[in-house]
Amino acid sequence: MEKDILEHGLNFNRRRFLSRMSLGLGSIALGSLLMPDLLNGGGMDEDDFVAGIPHFAPKAKRVIYLFQNGAPSQLELFDYKPKLREMMGQELPESIRAGQRLTGMTANQASFPMVGSFVDFKQYGDSRAWISDLFPHTAKVVDDICIIRSMHTEAINHDPALTFFQTGSQQGNRPSMGTWLSYGLGNENKNLPAFTVLLSRGIGNGQGVYSKLWSNGFLDSIHQGVQFSSGEDPVLYLKDPKGMNRHERRKILDNLSELNQMSYEEFGDPEINTKIQQYEMAYRMQAAVPEIMDVSKEPDDIIKLYGPDCLVPGTFAANALLARKLSESGVRFVQLYHQGWDQHGNLPFEITKQAKDVDQASAALVTDLKQRGLLDETLVIWGGEFGRTNYSQGKLSIDKYGRDHHPRCFSIWMAGGGIKPGIVYGETDDFGYNIVKDPVHVHDFQATVLHQLGLDHEKLIFKHLGRRYRLTDVSGKVIKDILV
Amino acid sequence: MKTNLQGFAGNLLFALNVFIIFLLIFENKLIVPYWLQPIGRMHPMILHFPIAILMLAMLLEFFRFKNEYNAQDLYQRFASNLLIIGAISSAISVIMGLFLSKEGTYTGETLQWHKWAGISVVIIPSLIYWFRNSSWYRAPLAKFGAIITFFSLIIAGHFGATLTHGENFVLEPLMPKEENVPIDQAIVFDHVIQPIFVEKCVSCHNPDKLKGKLILSEAKYILKGGKTGKLFVPGKPELSLLLQRIHLPLEDKKRMPPKDKIQLSEEEIALLFHWIKANADFKKKVIELPLKDSLRILSIAALKPENTEEEFDFAAADEETIIELNNSYRGVYPISKGSPALAVSIYNRSTYTFEKLKELSPVKTQIISLELNKIPVRDEDLKHVARFENLRKLNLNFTDITGKGLKELTSLKYLKNLSLSGTKINYKDLQQQISEFASLKTLVVWNTDLSVKEIQKLQTANKHVQIIAGFKDDGRNPIKLNPPQLKNSSSVFSESIPLHLGHPINGVKIRYTTDGTEPDSLNSPVFKNKPLLKEYTVVKAKAYKAGWLGSDVAVLTLYRNTYKPDSVILLTPFNSNHLANGDKTFFDGELGAFNANSPASATNWAGFVKNDMEVLLEFRKSVAVSSVALNTLIEPETIIFPPASIEIWGGATKSQMRLISTLKPIHPKKDGKPFIQIAECKFKTQKISYLKIIAKPLKKLPNWHKNKGKPALLLVDEILVN
Repeated sequence: MEKDILEHGLNFNRRRFLSRMSLGLGSIALGSLLMPDLLNGGGMDEDDFVAGIPHFAPKAKRVIYLFQNGAPSQLELFDYKPKLREMMGQELPESIRAGQRLTGMTANQASFPMVGSFVDFKQYGDSRAWISDLFPHTAKVVDDICIIRSMHTEAINHDPALTFFQTGSQQGNRPSMGTWLSYGLGNENKNLPAFTVLLSRGIGNGQGVYSKLWSNGFLDSIHQGVQFSSGEDPVLYLKDPKGMNRHERRKILDNLSELNQMSYEEFGDPEINTKIQQYEMAYRMQAAVPEIMDVSKEPDDIIKLYGPDCLVPGTFAANALLARKLSESGVRFVQLYHQGWDQHGNLPFEITKQAKDVDQASAALVTDLKQRGLLDETLVIWGGEFGRTNYSQGKLSIDKYGRDHHPRCFSIWMAGGGIKPGIVYGETDDFGYNIVKDPVHVHDFQATVLHQLGLDHEKLIFKHLGRRYRLTDVSGKVIKDILV
Repeated sequence: MKTNLQGFAGNLLFALNVFIIFLLIFENKLIVPYWLQPIGRMHPMILHFPIAILMLAMLLEFFRFKNEYNAQDLYQRFASNLLIIGAISSAISVIMGLFLSKEGTYTGETLQWHKWAGISVVIIPSLIYWFRNSSWYRAPLAKFGAIITFFSLIIAGHFGATLTHGENFVLEPLMPKEENVPIDQAIVFDHVIQPIFVEKCVSCHNPDKLKGKLILSEAKYILKGGKTGKLFVPGKPELSLLLQRIHLPLEDKKRMPPKDKIQLSEEEIALLFHWIKANADFKKKVIELPLKDSLRILSIAALKPENTEEEFDFAAADEETIIELNNSYRGVYPISKGSPALAVSIYNRSTYTFEKLKELSPVKTQIISLELNKIPVRDEDLKHVARFENLRKLNLNFTDITGKGLKELTSLKYLKNLSLSGTKINYKDLQQQISEFASLKTLVVWNTDLSVKEIQKLQTANKHVQIIAGFKDDGRNPIKLNPPQLKNSSSVFSESIPLHLGHPINGVKIRYTTDGTEPDSLNSPVFKNKPLLKEYTVVKAKAYKAGWLGSDVAVLTLYRNTYKPDSVILLTPFNSNHLANGDKTFFDGELGAFNANSPASATNWAGFVKNDMEVLLEFRKSVAVSSVALNTLIEPETIIFPPASIEIWGGATKSQMRLISTLKPIHPKKDGKPFIQIAECKFKTQKISYLKIIAKPLKKLPNWHKNKGKPALLLVDEILVN
């Protein structure tokens, strides 16, 4: 022991100290070149981060994400490719596909006949954007939306692709986008959760939507998404049991929170605090939710705007209307999922119905937000998890064909929240297979969404299991060209 | 260094000095042959040596007479050798520089300064070298010479760098960025086009360094053009040299900017194109261009500062106060980290009192956004809102204000966005007040009493304000109602059922038929009073309402099942994908839906593929039965077919059952739409206590089917015993 101390003293003579320190200073200097914020005090540490306050002035306060689950075909909706019609039935050139991996569903297909859209496209608005005849209502708001035709992703199957879009990772177990926003911005209205989820399904092949998509991952469970349904019982287990009144409920909660507080003092588990907060939130929600769910006072014009289905619980239109009401009441992130876009077989028949389900209400939401002066502070997003192939899955005939999964390009649109209205961003080749201009990766998209809400995606981080996590993982850049 | 070598060096230095003087005297008559040009162009490469060497030599010279160094032989010899190497390299560098200057790409005052400073860097060290051992050369002179040389080096270096990199190259990143010009004052050329030249072209095309005899730093030179000719033909971008050079392939030597320089962005190229197309005007303001003009749109985009974050000049509110003001029904938040500005939202109609607004007084300066959506705010409350002097955005949608209250708000000089949807404002008050708002940009008036015409009038009178009218149904494009819905909890009944039809939209008239015909808007009975149904009935119903198109027909089937067995025994298993509700499936009143091969809608259907469906029904009290029916789904495309045959066995006991009836249902002849159909076996009424139902799925799909020869799937959701 004594020897050790002596050795230590010897080891740390002046020369060694200086030589070490110079190395240290050198590496700090080098480090500051690599990380410009290193010496400015703007370090990348979550201690620095004040939850609930944006990093910079946000353009958008809230998000409504109309997720089209199952992957809508860009080739029948937004990405007009007359060439595919001309070359109907011809084999997809290998130079275009270039060894792209395919799903198990078409990998063994002997031929890949290209197929053009069965439906016509026209140009609309000042932006002269091409929109298919399946979306007559969306066509009317084309000057309020920004169509991105150059999205691309890494996953090729629904669940990983959806999980990637929502959590930034294909494997799951990470917090989802709404959770990150709740963590970063907090509740706007303390009577409602910051992150809510609404589900609906069309007639088509439905792909699973699981609660992991709105999970809090490793973030505090107060941030997880709360599922609303538009039936009689909008939020499960929120109602008081029979015979319980509000006064008694309050008394129980007060006693319960005292007990919880005691156990928190004993164990110090932060989840106990979360639990207390959740009970309180539920209590306040009991008062706030019925008012929001009540659509009976909506004027006739609103019903005509969204379409009569908006009064039929569980439809996309009803959820879109509800999304507006939630968002208007200060819910940061309203996540809709509309299932049924996975059209492998009878695409023309299914997509026609599916498009009818969502077209009017999606466009109505944009108009409705605008006529309440809310569109500039609400970011509306419409899109699926990937695109669909330009070749037919299965046998091809003029009015019946299918399209397989295609991650290399697909189209989404965004509106409001400081996104440039009336523009079309990005371009795909004549075959609608590869992106030729301005690609937007899923992480770029996520970075842009966070940016509009005043959050720097490189600074919205959480340290977990020894590393720092972000929604955009280790990449992503804000697409400045589509910002106002 | 050996003496003879030193001597040679001394002579070389002398010769070089003479050569330099010769070059200077005959400078104007000199023509540098092309094979010597590469030597000249090595000037920027070589010049770094004399700078470093001479600086070190001058340092040694400065301290040369210090006592401790004076005696050191090594110091003295090293200093002397260093000095001559420095002087020679400096002389070589100057000669190269003179050659380079003859190429004519660099001119102007900067070049003159650089030239003479450079020459002094040869002459002075040479003189020092020749006379440094003379007796009159002492410490003061040595120090003076060293300092002069040192500064000459700095001056020559500085002007040389200015020539190659342009003015202010070093400090540029630290210089405050130029103030942005307001868009309404910006001139297209001065503030949009010229900055492109300055940023990407002027470092080579300036009065000091006229590459290709072209100067792009000022309008008069731009008009003059360069060696190859005029830069552009106004109005004809496609014929303009400027754009031709820009669009040459990157490898082309004439391509501009050259491939190793920073390239023009697509927006910049587009700007140059449209500027020339619009006759290359040097005076026009951006706002003088037509509204939808490409040049105008691009210019405005280019003029927009990168960071549009508004800065506020008021102080931040006390943090404690902000925290105190936050409660369940009022959110008060800083708009971003470090910003003094606050955004306030008030929620919940029923808990609102005027106090909620009044309590905000301590932060009245800081509030820039206030949301009072659906809060019963009255006109008199707005007096208090008007005290939030820095308010930018105010949401009063669905509040109780009227046009009278607006007057209070006109004092808000920064108010940009005002939302008044769903309020009782009227045209008269708006028309009077709207122009009183100093900064108003958007005004939202949807769902108010204002008519389309009045809104148009307001818009024409107030061009600077965007008035958002929103959606108002003009009745010209009526939309279709959705079909009526069955409101009964189950569509299976035992004795009778009161038919309950409903529709989500108020005031809808439902007309229906029970005879299989399509209901029409005139003659079919109107649904009311829940008529009692006693038999299996197919109800067809349509919804009607004024201002809407009639709905599609809703086809609603009500099934009668008189006898519910006391127990159901499944004699064969269900198909694993269609397990439905086990033995309860057939009498639970739950019907299956289409698309039954998708797991999500597979519920309620009991499926059979490999084995027959065999079900034993047990009635404790014997029942008189005359019909047994299976409700089946038929969806040929997904191999769901009716059973090949159905056998009904019955008896008083389990062991004494006999075949009562068999049925071979009709099968589809081709692919078609899916439908749900009952397969009913009718027979003479008999008293039984046990019923056995055997339904055989189709073993082989017919020849027209794409999966011909394979077994079909049988799906049943309900059994009806009557």
